[in-house]
Amino acid sequence: MTEQQEKLSAFMDGELNQTEIIDAIKHDPALQAKWQRYHVIRSGLRKEATVAPQLDLTARVAAALADEPTVMAPRSRWECIPLVGNVVPFAKQAGQFAVAASVAAAVIVGVQYSNQPTQTEPFSTFATVGPQGGLAPVSLEQTRTIPRDDMAVMLEKKRKINALIADHEQQVKLKQAEEQSAAAEEQQGIDN
Amino acid sequence: MSIFCSLTRPASIKLAVLFNQPAFLLIFCLFLFSSNVFAQQDNAAENADTEVTASSDDEANPSAQDEIEESNEPNTLSAKQWLARLTEATRELNYQVSFILSRAGSETIPYLWRHGVLENGTTVEQLNLQNGPGRELIRVDNVVSVFEPDVAPYSLYSESINGPIPSQLLYNPLALTKSYKFIKVGRARVSGRPAQQIRIVSLDNSRFSYQLWLDEASGMLLKFNMLDLNGNLLEQIQVTSLNIHKEPHAYFARVNQATLPQPMVITPSQPRKHNWEVDYMPRGMKEVKRDIRRLALTGQIVEYKMFSDGLVDVSVYVQMADDAIGADMVLRHEVNTFLTLTDGQAQVTVVGEIPLNTANAIATSLSMNQPDNNG
Repeated sequence: MTEQQEKLSAFMDGELNQTEIIDAIKHDPALQAKWQRYHVIRSGLRKEATVAPQLDLTARVAAALADEPTVMAPRSRWECIPLVGNVVPFAKQAGQFAVAASVAAAVIVGVQYSNQPTQTEPFSTFATVGPQGGLAPVSLEQTRTIPRDDMAVMLEKKRKINALIADHEQQVKLKQAEEQSAAAEEQQGIDN
Repeated sequence: MSIFCSLTRPASIKLAVLFNQPAFLLIFCLFLFSSNVFAQQDNAAENADTEVTASSDDEANPSAQDEIEESNEPNTLSAKQWLARLTEATRELNYQVSFILSRAGSETIPYLWRHGVLENGTTVEQLNLQNGPGRELIRVDNVVSVFEPDVAPYSLYSESINGPIPSQLLYNPLALTKSYKFIKVGRARVSGRPAQQIRIVSLDNSRFSYQLWLDEASGMLLKFNMLDLNGNLLEQIQVTSLNIHKEPHAYFARVNQATLPQPMVITPSQPRKHNWEVDYMPRGMKEVKRDIRRLALTGQIVEYKMFSDGLVDVSVYVQMADDAIGADMVLRHEVNTFLTLTDGQAQVTVVGEIPLNTANAIATSLSMNQPDNNG
């Protein structure tokens, strides 16, 4: 045993390089306890005592639980009252939703905030009248300046052309219906 | 006795067996032969039936007699007779046709077209646009009901559905001979069927030309091309399936004729006096309408004339120059040519399915009746 202790302390000091002592520590709980204690002592001696003297609480708690008497009837709690028991979890969920909603609201507020146009000029700037002449081109990237008068004229032209073409198509559709209506009326006149 | 019996009995059985087989064969042969005879008699009866119906048609329609006689040999028909056959088939058969309409530079448009003659003689027709929200036209005799998205359903008086296939060509092709000539080209294979090709060319070469392919078996339209003067394809209708049935399609039984909208009566607007005339017109075109109106989209006042040769409609607009587009312009909208010219105070616009040269000739031929006070 003392031989073992010597070997252990030698191994701790790094003077022993044998695997058999490792196996011995693994299989012997007494040696393990010693190994632990030696380390605590050493760190204590070196004033590095961050490791408190080991108190094996888990073993004691387990022992205490084993001794405790088993309770057969569950205690009456508010979850067991029929209505309240249903309401309270719902309230809990609602609370979760409220948290989620507030997060969403925060996100929306954040987005709105970030999308607000940046005010580059002071508010007191006099509002200048833009070029007159109707519709301005809707474009974010206006790399070259388009004469706006021409644009308006072009749109107006397009509108007039479309009006004529649409009218032609309508007239073509109507032509047949009108002829047939007239024929049908004549037919009715003959019948009457 | 017993020996005799023992000899004769098997012999008689053998004989019976021997007789039995040929007799059975004989009966079988007789049966076959007689069924053939019956079948031939049936055929003969059917032929007699068809002859009867044909002859009754002849009596009812003596002018069509030669066409019906010749319709047994399609190759001998002339182009006009082919078109007469097209009209007859389109009016009288029960059919379901799927076709697509394609134009250069735009997507193809699929249509479903059904026609039936009901037992009481009522003709029913349906044309359905197959893509998108659709457009459904149902004709019952001379009332066409239109079902479109975003528009309340309505009905109009019309003898035919105004679809992509020109109705004048289908129903009254011979009226087109004032403006066009029909040329039989030859046989071809279209939609998997033997077909007869016919060209339609305007007499004065002032309008687009057409090619059509008709089914040899039934006379139905299989393909229809519109070509410009250089022979480039402008518009094409291609039949993808053609089914001809004895009975009208079951769809028509589901159409509740009582719930179709009541037909609207559109009274043609009274012709208004214009102080200008169009001097040049392509051969066979004539004025079908004239009035003074406001355009629906812009509210501009225009003086309007429409000319038609049955196949093509051309609109001529005259308006004050200071209110108008302001520049001479030429556009192509689908198959319509759009030409606008400004001359002094008046702007002349021609819209229609005609070549540019013809539109230009029409627009430049306008002349004033009197010294104007209207512009």
